[in-house]
Amino acid sequence: MIIDEAEALLDPVSDIDGFLLACLVDASTGMVLASREDQDDLSLPTAAAAAADIANVLALLTGELPMDGLEDVMVTFRRQLYVIRLVRQDPEPRILLLVILDRTRVNLAMARHEIRNFCASFAA
Amino acid sequence: MNRTSRFTRARQLTSTVLPGRRPDGHAELVARRLRTIADARGTGMLPLSGRTEGAIYFRDGRVVYAESSRTPGPAAHPEQAPGLPPLSRITAILAVAEPTVDAALELLSARSRPARFRASRIPAADPAPGISLEALLAEVTRRQRVLAQLAAVVTADTALARNPAISPESVRASALQRALLVRVRPGSTPRDLAWDLSRSVFGTTAEVYRLLVRQLLSVAGTPPRAPGAAGAVPGTGLAVMSFVRAART
Repeated sequence: MIIDEAEALLDPVSDIDGFLLACLVDASTGMVLASREDQDDLSLPTAAAAAADIANVLALLTGELPMDGLEDVMVTFRRQLYVIRLVRQDPEPRILLLVILDRTRVNLAMARHEIRNFCASFAA
Repeated sequence: MNRTSRFTRARQLTSTVLPGRRPDGHAELVARRLRTIADARGTGMLPLSGRTEGAIYFRDGRVVYAESSRTPGPAAHPEQAPGLPPLSRITAILAVAEPTVDAALELLSARSRPARFRASRIPAADPAPGISLEALLAEVTRRQRVLAQLAAVVTADTALARNPAISPESVRASALQRALLVRVRPGSTPRDLAWDLSRSVFGTTAEVYRLLVRQLLSVAGTPPRAPGAAGAVPGTGLAVMSFVRAART
């Protein structure tokens, strides 16, 4: 994590039911800018790298297909839910928010709503 | 000092600056030197010299800035001010942190030799809160792994050519990718483009790789292929660059 002081900025996300981990990642370089985690079982570097890889593969796709404005990606595992969201649509820097949630405790619609609101307030 | 030890010493010195030498623990030596400064909560500048010249600046043991002769410094960016939205604060910090990491990557990868630490010499303009040394070293290692993945396809100093079949204005690409495409001249390298755009060399090299995958650019001297042609980067496949692999190896 490069920006220590940014950890506190992720406080609102950590209040989401089922919260396990959140981080901000520069999608272009894969660098983790800030992180917040509630448990040690998850590997932050691997999860953040996966979020950047997924975003970059989808960016390749949007370059080839008539799609526009990637907002978020949800990856569902048996026990966890990964939500990857571009913090803002502006081109540079492409900062991603990755939130990992416990599927047994999360309300998906509420979580998505709160993540969207967080990103809006983050950039406002 | 006897003849053998003088020879050994000379070999150690040259091995830190000549390319193609086998690893001899140089990176660990430099890292140990940096850790000594960080542990002592030093404030000042550590100059490094060799193929790449530069310096790493510390304040209270944290790295506040690094510069190198082969990477661009920070682009103009908005000053940090109270009341800025969180994202603007992060963007302002990143505007200094990214060139710092980029310069450190260059200095540590080019096997530059540290000189005497000069206490109390720090940049006059220093908006960055600083990066912990361990975070910086971990990020440099991660980036070295990514560059090792890419080395078979592209390095920061690979000459490029734009695919003559495409027009940068008509391509579906991000603003950054379009800016890169517009600036590519025959023989341009990712490093040249990074200086043109005041962006990090590492970030530019990664973005150039993505343009190579899309066949919008090619390595100079290789025949251009139609954009979207099967096979992506010839002989390498799509999955050459993986941040996940770099994080796990």
